[in-house]
Order: sequence, then structure tokens, then C-alpha cells
Amino acid sequence: MVRRWMPWIMLGLIVLTAFLLYFLIWASVNAQLQAVKNGTIPAPAGGTAQLEQTLRMIAPDRVAQFGVGLVSGLGSVMLIVFAASHVGTEFGWGTFRTLLAHGASRTGFLVAKAASLLLYAFVFIVVGTLAAIGASYAVSAVAGISVGSGVDVAEVTRAAVKAGYIFLPYMALALAIAVWSKSAGAGIAAGLVVYFAEGIVATLLVSLNKDYAEIVNWGLSRSVSAVTRAGSSAAVPDPTASTLPDPTRAAIVLAVYCVIFFVLAYWRLRSRDVTVGG
Amino acid sequence: MTYVRSYARHVTGEVVLRTNGLVKRFGSITAVNGLDLEVRRGEVVGLLGPNGAGKSTTIGMVLGLIAPTAGSAEVLGRDVRVRREEALAGVGAMLEVTSFYPYLSGRDNLTGVALLRGGGALARVDPLLARLGLAQRGGSKFRTYSLGMRQRLGIASTLLSDPALVILDEPANGLDPAGQREIRELIRELAGENRGVLLASHLLHEVEQVCDRVLVIKKGKLIASGTIAEITRGGGSYFEIVVGDQTRAAQILRGLGVKEIRETPTGLDVVADPARGAELNRALASAGLYASAIVPRASSLEDVFMELTEPESPSASPAS
Repeated sequence: MVRRWMPWIMLGLIVLTAFLLYFLIWASVNAQLQAVKNGTIPAPAGGTAQLEQTLRMIAPDRVAQFGVGLVSGLGSVMLIVFAASHVGTEFGWGTFRTLLAHGASRTGFLVAKAASLLLYAFVFIVVGTLAAIGASYAVSAVAGISVGSGVDVAEVTRAAVKAGYIFLPYMALALAIAVWSKSAGAGIAAGLVVYFAEGIVATLLVSLNKDYAEIVNWGLSRSVSAVTRAGSSAAVPDPTASTLPDPTRAAIVLAVYCVIFFVLAYWRLRSRDVTVGG
Repeated sequence: MTYVRSYARHVTGEVVLRTNGLVKRFGSITAVNGLDLEVRRGEVVGLLGPNGAGKSTTIGMVLGLIAPTAGSAEVLGRDVRVRREEALAGVGAMLEVTSFYPYLSGRDNLTGVALLRGGGALARVDPLLARLGLAQRGGSKFRTYSLGMRQRLGIASTLLSDPALVILDEPANGLDPAGQREIRELIRELAGENRGVLLASHLLHEVEQVCDRVLVIKKGKLIASGTIAEITRGGGSYFEIVVGDQTRAAQILRGLGVKEIRETPTGLDVVADPARGAELNRALASAGLYASAIVPRASSLEDVFMELTEPESPSASPAS
């Protein structure tokens, strides 16, 4: 039984957000379509096809692209926060020191933390994906959208596994920074900065000159994009997609980052003097 | 509940903690400098020193929280650096700042530590809560505990593993006088249960009442060790003289060959043979200085501690 509120709140948030976003997209697009039909606003250049295509994203047969993508995007941010907090608070509360004084091993501590983070990431992606499926069916029913062939379980599972996999390097980064800085805040800040800034910088560089892809494709964001897009159509088009690295190489790069971040955290935790300050 | 000061019958002599030439340097600062200490079963050893003397760093090294620069610490013959988990199985430690999970109750926090400890620790949770007076509040969240309750919970956690060595760093912090007394009694009980206790404390009165031996450290070095009687005997005895004209009184007493005289707000403290009280009184009276009181005093642990640990440049002004 998890006694802290944070893990439950995050699970509640992803469920709520999935339903809310599905509903908001339907409400917004539907309002635009009605307005075009009524002549309140002029029809877009290409007609209403684009709007109808957007509305189709809500359908259960598109959960793998849209629903899981939504969980993946929000989940990365939420799990960066969770990973940093899961480790950093032990220093802030002084409980890491207490555990060590009662005979806990440093290695055991870090392994237990990493294992519980992996477990939580698994639960998160399962709950998030189920919420997206539920939201898709619920809003489709309300909107009168055909459910078509329904959810493609195999495709959704593949997308969910990929989404779970791309959480890992960011969680490992947040954990490593939290261990080094003995602070949840620093882990969260560093994780979020890397998550957002690296992606923006990489896209900008590749947009300026495609040769830069050779460099930025060794980073996290481009590897994440490559893994996410492997074998599936993207929900959002990316003009730099043609320069993404090979998905297998990208998956290996992400795994190597996970190992590097974990080893750095382990090395620091093993060698650190634990004083009253942490 | 009363405790007995004649505790020698409990001391079996087995060494539960031994440090050999323990050194810790933080950059250019030497926090602990070649510290050798021993704690035996059945005795309470006080670790005294001013702030920054190296007490908590020493405890940190004993618990494997801080890596020594040189030297070693052994618990029950096991080197803490080499066999840390095994060594700490025989240690219950309460650190200077008691830290537990704030969102868990006191009982759940103890249960967590008990699970970590294994053995029969789980069965000791409720009896220990009762022993430390926390039975009623065991279900309350740790974050709602007062400082005194936190200290009690910290002490309870040290006893979960039925340890041979109990390390207590400032256990009476935040406790009211009654609570301090209970902790003193508990510490004596622990020694009576044939455990060794290492007690780091600023409360010299507490140490004086409860410890069998005292180690005084300053700037990381051991500067005095022994029983309370041995330590305070080294401080000697003196007279507290309440007299008006301190400068003149000091001159008269120096004329009698008294060398150590210190001005106090009410008169003088004069280091002299206890048998010379009448002589000092007569000399002052002959000079027309009538002392309101001449009280023979023995140095307390506090006096000796202050003397041993005072800064190199004397802060008190000697009477001239």
C-alpha cells in the first residue's frame, strides 16, 4: 500500500486529463464544424475535411496514435517530477540518513528506488492507456462518432510499451540529478529543462541544417521521437522526421543513457558522506 | 523508577565498539584527528565536546555514514567499512536530528525500520512505543509529533534490533525536565541490560549523572578520558569567596602564596588546599575585608569541561 498521496494524485490526474482532453477536443472541433455549417465563421481553405480528420482522432481505432501519445507526453513530465521527488525527498526529510543508520545498504536503497520507479512507470502507462481507451469510447458515444473496428489491442500495446520505454531515460536523469544535488527540486528542474529545451534546440538545429542531425540524433529527444514513430503513423507531423535516427539505434542510445544516469547516481551515492545536512 | 549508580556489576568487559586512530578530514579541515575510543557492554560512555569538536562526525564514521580518511571503527569486532551491514546489525543509533517519514505514523515508521532490521524486531514495535510513552500517539502522523515525541520515537527505533551497542546523539534535545529524567533512567536501564551506550550530549548535568566514563574531545582530538571522579579530580577543589573589594582581596590572597584567583560577579574563585579556608578568612578579616561567605567547592564536570575546552586565548580575565 502506497501511503503517499503523490502517486495516487498523478494517476488521478492522468485519468482526468485523458477524459478532459478528449472531451475538449470534441467540443472545440464540433463547435467549429457547427459554426462553419451555420455560416457563423467562414469554412477553412481546404473545407472541413481537416476538422473532421481531427475529430476522427477521438475514435477508439486511433487510441494508439492519439491517446497513448497524450499519455506519453504528459507522463514524461509527470514521471520526471515523480522520480526526482521519490529520491530527493529522502535527503530533504533526512530519512536516507536514518535508513543507513539502521543498517540499510546504499546499493539496496538505490536499487529499491529504481525498482519502485519502474513499477510505478508501468502502472502509470497501464492506467493512462486504459483511461485513454475509456475516454475515447465515452466521448465517441457522446459525439456519435463511429467506433469502427474498435481498439486495436496489439497496436495500443506496442505504443504503450514504447511510451513506457521513453519514460525511462528521463526518469533516470531526474533520479541522478536528485542524488547528486540531494534535492527533489533540482532533479525536477534539470529533468524538465532537458525534456523541453533539448527537443526544441534539436529541432531548430535540424531545421537550419540537416547535417546537424548527425550530432543531435545522439541526444534524448531525437531518439525518443525515433522510437515513438517506429512502425506507426504519427499523430502530429514532424518536418524533420526524415532525419531521425534508426529506431533500433535510438532504442540502444536511450538504454545507454539509462545506464549512464543510473551508474552516475550509484557512484555518487556510494561515495557520499552522509552528514546532518543530508 | 529509580536508577542505581552502582552499576559495576553489569560491566562484563566485552568491547562492543572500538575505534583505532580514526581520522576525518573535510578538505583542509581535520574534523576528527586520530581518535581511539572503546565502549564495553554494560557501561555508558559520554562523548563530550564543544560544537564542532567532531562528536557527530565520529558517530557518522562509526555508523558508516561518513568514510574515515584513516583509521577504523569496529562494532563487535567487525570493521564497519568492510562488513558494514553485519556490524550495524548489533547497533541501535539515534542521530542528532531525528528523521522519519512525515506522512507515516510513529508506529508505521517503527514498523518500517523493524522490517529493515528483520529478526524479532516487528514484535518489539508496540512494547517499545509503550516503553517510550508513545502508545497513545503511535497512530498519529510523525509530522504532528512534538520535538520531544520525535526524540522518543528515535530512541525507540534504536532498540528494535535488541542491540549490543546503543548510540545516542543528544537524546534529551527538546525534552522537558521530566522527560530528560526518564531518558536518563532509560539509559541506565540499557546499560543494566548489558548493552554498551555511547552518549553524545551537551547536557553536562545529564552526562555527569548517567555516564560511567567520559571522553572529552576538542578539535577532533581526545583531550581527556576517565570516570567522572577521575576527570573532576583533575580539576581540583577551590573556594568560592563572596567579598566586596575583589582587587584588594586578590592582592591579600596572593600575598599568602595563592596563585590561581579568578574574579566572579560576587567575589573570587580561589584555587587552594581545602584545609586553608580558615587561614584565608583570617587574612582577609585582618585587612578589614569581611567575606560574606567562604564556600569550599569541588570542580564539577562542567567546570572541568569548560577548562578543558576553552579557547586558546583566555576569555576570562584573571584578577591581578
